[in-house]
Amino acid sequence: MADQELEVLNDRVDLGVGEDVIGDRPRRYQRRRPRQVIPDYVDWKDVDFLRQFVPERGKIMPRRISGISARDQRRLAKAIKRARSMALLPFVAD
Amino acid sequence: MPNRTYEVMYIVDPETDAERVEKLNEAVGKLIEKEGGEIVRMDDIGLRELAYPIQKKTEGHYVLFEINGSGQEIAELERRMRVNDMIIRFVTVRVDEERKTADKLRTKREARATKRASFRNAPAETTEEVPAEA
Repeated sequence: MADQELEVLNDRVDLGVGEDVIGDRPRRYQRRRPRQVIPDYVDWKDVDFLRQFVPERGKIMPRRISGISARDQRRLAKAIKRARSMALLPFVAD
Repeated sequence: MPNRTYEVMYIVDPETDAERVEKLNEAVGKLIEKEGGEIVRMDDIGLRELAYPIQKKTEGHYVLFEINGSGQEIAELERRMRVNDMIIRFVTVRVDEERKTADKLRTKREARATKRASFRNAPAETTEEVPAEA
């Protein structure tokens, strides 16, 4: 899991990080592309797939990190929540 | 009568012996058929570690059913699961609608792909035909 996060960070550097001045503080931004294809039907029982979007802490990965579309994020979040209710995925992990 | 597809998953107390779990699964199947449902799939996943403890238990016996039916049998099944001590957790998910939209998405994408392919091939064919005629 830790490796995955590191990869995300490295990838960010590759894509280039820019700065936007909004207000008085520069805001960092970067465009991301999804690293994995989201299937048409997101199966809530497919824990191995869902785990890709649940970093160590157990939180759902935000879209700005994973780079997936808004619709996919909604479907994914729902699947993760369903999996959580059946103890397939943790609510919080430490 | 509406025809819907549901996935019912439940976790059985890991301390119950396999025999009783089997009996429970059979009873569930019978109940569904009696109520007019149809079992598409029955999967005894078996012992699996829980992501967090439930009733101080760290693992559970997972069972998955896929059911076609009207929804009535689900109501009855859920009512019974709630009072069953062996079942420590259950969930029902209606999957037919999401699968339908997934199918629609797929056919749409395939249609787009073929259309794109035909566009790509069409000019190539005409250029090949011209020298053949000449």
